[in-house]
Amino acid sequence: MEKKKMPQKVHSQTIIEASIDPLVTINSDDVTEQKWVKDLRIANIELAFQNNEKEKRAAELAIANKELAFQNNEKEKRATELGVANKELAFQNHEKEKRAAELVIANKELAFQNDEKEKRAAELGIAIKELAFQNGEKEKRAAELVIANNELAFQNDEKEKRAEELIIANKELLAFTYISSHDLQEPLRKIQTFITIILENENENLSENGKYNFERMQLAAGRMQQLIDDLLAFSRVATTELNFEKTNLNQIIEEVKAELKDTIHEKQATIEIGELGTPNLIAFQFRQLMYNLISNALKFSNPEIPSYIIITKRMVKGHEVNNEKLSKGKSYFHIKVKDNGIGFEPHFSERIFGVFQKLHGKEVYSGTGIGLAIVKKIAENHNGIIAATGELKKGATFDIYIPSN
Amino acid sequence: MPLKQLNILLADDDVDDCIFFKKALEELLLATDVTVVNDGEKLMQQLTSKDSELPHVLFLDLNMPRKNGFECLAEIKQNEKLAALPVIIFSTSFEQGVVNQLYLSGAQYFIRKPSEFEQFKNIIHQTLFLIASQLASNKTGKIRQPEKEDFVLVLVK
Repeated sequence: MEKKKMPQKVHSQTIIEASIDPLVTINSDDVTEQKWVKDLRIANIELAFQNNEKEKRAAELAIANKELAFQNNEKEKRATELGVANKELAFQNHEKEKRAAELVIANKELAFQNDEKEKRAAELGIAIKELAFQNGEKEKRAAELVIANNELAFQNDEKEKRAEELIIANKELLAFTYISSHDLQEPLRKIQTFITIILENENENLSENGKYNFERMQLAAGRMQQLIDDLLAFSRVATTELNFEKTNLNQIIEEVKAELKDTIHEKQATIEIGELGTPNLIAFQFRQLMYNLISNALKFSNPEIPSYIIITKRMVKGHEVNNEKLSKGKSYFHIKVKDNGIGFEPHFSERIFGVFQKLHGKEVYSGTGIGLAIVKKIAENHNGIIAATGELKKGATFDIYIPSN
Repeated sequence: MPLKQLNILLADDDVDDCIFFKKALEELLLATDVTVVNDGEKLMQQLTSKDSELPHVLFLDLNMPRKNGFECLAEIKQNEKLAALPVIIFSTSFEQGVVNQLYLSGAQYFIRKPSEFEQFKNIIHQTLFLIASQLASNKTGKIRQPEKEDFVLVLVK
């Protein structure tokens, strides 16, 4: 405060000194008083001046304040407006940024789509090429197919020709069968008849050796006759028509038993027969099958024990039987013929079904080796199979599987 | 009607079989008369000629030249005058189908020629005995065809 007043006092004194009225005389006494008044007057003037100045300043200040207030007001208005404008700007910026971001995404998408389009175009190019290639291949295949068709047509023609030839050949075979049944047997039978006449009528004139030789001749001729008979039976089974009919299998086996009753008695055989039902069979062929199997079982019975044969039936599905020749899903009529005879070594189980296949010399067991071949053929004529299992001296088992429809 | 002698006609082209047949009849000591023809045409001529009497029985072979046994059998059974003649088929072979056909055609019996002469003789004896006894017991001189199961003659032991 003191510091501020000092320059003001110097300034006021200068103004007072300049305004001293030269007409005013001041005495000494008066001088002191005069000085003090003077100082007071100066001080008052100074004060008035200062007041004046102050008022002026105050007025100016008021004006300035008003101006300032107005300006502040304006400033606030502007500031408010600016705030709004800023907000708007910020909003617009934000929107712009959003749009920009969206645009970036859209651009990316567009770029991606362009890319994809190019890819597709490239793929289309490849696909078109591929198609063209496939068309070419198709035409090639079509051409090959035409050739294959022609070949097939030719083969069909050939097959028909072969079928016709086969029919002719079959007829010839039947004729041959008849010829062998008649013309081959006739001279043979006559040889046998003449031998019996000689043995009867010339008995006294023959030496023992001569008689023996004639007997051997008779045996050989007899065997040949049996062979021809069996071969005939085999070819008949192979060539005759196949008429399936409901067949009472038990009845058929009773007939076979009646036919074999002498042998059954001789072998002291027991034949146990289960309930066999009435399947669809080629009756006369199945009768022969059962005859061959039963007579086989009797023939190859074990001489040390009474023969025992058991015949049973059951229905099975192909998959229940371990045999690849059967269809897994099909139903089969399974007939089992089991005996306690001399059996055979297991490795012969296929071979015994071959034509002329024998396991024993003809001096031990007579026979031509055709019986089981006939049995197999008959099973095949029924679209079925036959399998044999055996063990030496422990018997043989024959399993026949016939489709049940 | 009582028979003094059985007239037999044998139709067979085989010389040996004819010898066996005649020899069998000789040994059987039967009152028979045998006429032999060697082919089917001669057989039919013989049966249809006016001056020869019909035999009592015909033994017919199937395989013959010119006309076979099947044809002859059919002609005989279709001919009114001959239909009653008992025809016995005498054959080397045995074929069930053939046998059935012969039965249907009206043959009397079927015999498969045995290979032993003794059997040959016996089956002829058995057959002739069957025919003669049926002829004797039947006034009309006709013999009925047997049942199918008796058609094939087998040797009675």
